[in-house]
Amino acid sequence: MKQAPSPKLRPTVWDGLVAALVLALAIGTAVLFYGNLGHGDQLTAVITHRGETVETVVLSTLQEEKTVHIDGEYHLTIALSPDGVRVTESDCPGQDCLHTGTIRRRGQSIICLPEQVVIRLEGSGNGPDLVLG
Amino acid sequence: MRINTKSLTLCAVLTALALGLSTLENLFPITLVIPLPGVKLGLANIVTVFALYSLGAGPALGILLGRCLLGSVFAGNFSALLFSLLGGFAAMLVMIALRHVPGLSIFGVSIGGASAHNVGQIAAAIITLGNTAVLGYLPILLGVSLFTGGLTGFVASLLFRAMSHIHFQTGDTSYG
Amino acid sequence: MKRLTCLLLTLVMTLSLTACGSQHKLETHQIFAMDTVMDFAVYGGDTQGFLTAATQEINRLEALLSRTKTESDIARINGGGTVTVSEETADLLQDALRYTQLTDGTFDMTVAPLVSAWGIHTETPKVLSQTEIDALLPLVGSSHIHVDGTTVSLDEGCAIDLGGIAKGYASVRLAQLFEVYNIEGGWVSLGGNVYTYGTKDGKAPWLVSIRDPNSPAGAAVMVGLSNQFAVTSGGYQRYFTAEDGTVYQHILDPKTGAPAQSDLLSVTIICTDGTMADAYSTALYVMGAQGAVDFWRSHSSDFDMVLITADGKLLYTPGLENSLTLEEGGSYEASAIA
Repeated sequence: MKQAPSPKLRPTVWDGLVAALVLALAIGTAVLFYGNLGHGDQLTAVITHRGETVETVVLSTLQEEKTVHIDGEYHLTIALSPDGVRVTESDCPGQDCLHTGTIRRRGQSIICLPEQVVIRLEGSGNGPDLVLG
Repeated sequence: MRINTKSLTLCAVLTALALGLSTLENLFPITLVIPLPGVKLGLANIVTVFALYSLGAGPALGILLGRCLLGSVFAGNFSALLFSLLGGFAAMLVMIALRHVPGLSIFGVSIGGASAHNVGQIAAAIITLGNTAVLGYLPILLGVSLFTGGLTGFVASLLFRAMSHIHFQTGDTSYG
Repeated sequence: MKRLTCLLLTLVMTLSLTACGSQHKLETHQIFAMDTVMDFAVYGGDTQGFLTAATQEINRLEALLSRTKTESDIARINGGGTVTVSEETADLLQDALRYTQLTDGTFDMTVAPLVSAWGIHTETPKVLSQTEIDALLPLVGSSHIHVDGTTVSLDEGCAIDLGGIAKGYASVRLAQLFEVYNIEGGWVSLGGNVYTYGTKDGKAPWLVSIRDPNSPAGAAVMVGLSNQFAVTSGGYQRYFTAEDGTVYQHILDPKTGAPAQSDLLSVTIICTDGTMADAYSTALYVMGAQGAVDFWRSHSSDFDMVLITADGKLLYTPGLENSLTLEEGGSYEASAIA
C-alpha cells in the first residue's frame, strides 16, 4: 500500500491559490445569486393605469417626495417617498384610494376601481405575498 | 488493510475526539447567521485531516462514518445525519484528491476540505428542503470555510509538529 | 497528470452544485372584472395557459352571473317571468338558498331590491327613510324565488344579486385550473376572495395579509395559507358618508333592510370551499361578534375565521393558532376563541 505523503506544515503559495479559488467561488456564487436581482431586491412602487404600467419607482432612491398625476375620467395625485406611497388627492367616487392611507411593505397595494389605477409595492422584504380584504 | 489493536484503538480515540468537536461546534450558533438547521462549521474536519495523513484514507473514512452515525444517535436527530454525511464525505473526497497535489501544505488541503464540507451541507439542505433557494447561502458559507479551513489546517499542523518526535506506527501507513 | 485530473474533478464537482440555482419567478396578470380588481400569480408549469384560461373563465362567469349584463342568467331572472338558466347557475342558486338557510337569513341574495334602492354600488348612494325600507322589505326572503331544475322564477318586484357568492364561486372555478395547467404554486385574488395553491417556494405557505380595517394600508394580521380559500368582508371596504356625517357601510342586513349595525369591523373566513367562505363572511359580519362565534361553535369543523371587532379585539379560531403572525405593535388585542 502506498504511503500517505507526509504533510507540509507551512503554508505555501499554492495554499494561497486554493484560498483564492474558494474566495473566487464565493464571489462568483454571490454575483450569481444577488447580482442580477437589481432593483427587484428593493421596495419598488409599480403604478398601473387601465392595465398599462405608467411608473416604476424604486422608493429608496428617492431623495424627496415624488408626485405622480394620473389623468383619465378622474384625476389622482400619488405621493411617493422612501417611507411609502399614498394617494393624496382624487376626484373619484368612493374615495377608497384615499381611505386606504399609506402603504409601506411589499405586497401591499392601493386600488382605485373607478379609474382602474393600481399602486403596488414589489420587491423583497418580509412583507406578505398578497393582501386580503 | 490489516487491523491491529493499536490502530483500532487509535481509530476509536479519534472518533471520540471527532464527536467531541462536533458537540463543541454547537457552541458556535452559525444557524443564527444562516438559518439552516444542520449546518455546521466543520471543526470535526480537524480529525479527518489528521486521520487522513497519519492513518490513510481507509481508516479516515471509517472514523468519519462513525462520527456521523454516532453523532446523529447522540443528538437524537437523524435529519442532521444527511448534513454531516454529505458535508463530511465531500470534504473527505476533496482532501484525498488535494493531498496528492504537489506544493499544497496541510493548510491548502484543509481549506479545500472545508469549502467542500460546506458545499456538501448546502447540497444536503437542497435535498432536505427540495428547494434550490438555499444556494443563496453558499457564498457566505464559502467565505466562512476560508476561516474554518485555515483554523483546521493550523490546529492540524500544531498537532503534527507536537507529534513529530513521537514514533507513530499503525497498520497500513506510518508517519514519524 | 493524474493529480491535475483530481484537482479539476474537485473543481467541476463544486461548480456543478452552484450552477442550478434560480428562485421561483411569479407570472402575474391583473384584470378588472366583476366590479373589482383581480390578480393571478403562478409559477411552474404552463403559467401562460393558466393566466389565459383564468381570464377567460372570469369573463365567462361575469357574463353568466352579473346583474348588470343584460344577457346574463341573473339579469334574465330579474327581468321577470319564468326563465330557463344554465345548470351551473341553477346549482349556484341552490347553494345560495342553502347558505341562506344555514345562516338564518343573514346571507340572502334576495336583498337586491334594497341594495339597488340604497345605491351602495353606484356613484350616488342615498340614505333611505324607514318608510322606504319598510316598503321594500317584504320583497326579501327565500320564499320569493322558485327554482325547479333549471327553471327559475321570481315573485313580482323581487330581484336577486349573487354578488355575495359569485366571486367565491369564481375562485373555486379558478382553483381547479391549477392542476389542469400543472402549476407548482400560486394564488388568485378576486377582490377580497383569495385562493392559495401549493407553496411559495416549495416549503413556506403563502403569506396573506388581512387588512387593518382602521388603517387599510396596513395589516392587522398575517396568515400562512396553502390550498385554502380565504375571504374577508368588512364595512371598511366600501362605505359612504351622508350629509349629516353618518357613515353607511355596504353590507346590508337582510332583516332590517339597512346597512348592518355590526360590532365587527371585518370577518375573514378560511376554509376549503370558496363559495361557502364568501357567503359566510358576509353572513357572519351581519351576525356580529357574538352571533359569529356562536355560529362557528356549531360549524367548527367547516371553517376557521378571524374576527376584528370595533372595540379593538382580534379573535381567531384555534385551528389558526400556528399559521397566524400578529403584526408587531399591532393595535388589536388578539386571542383564540375557546
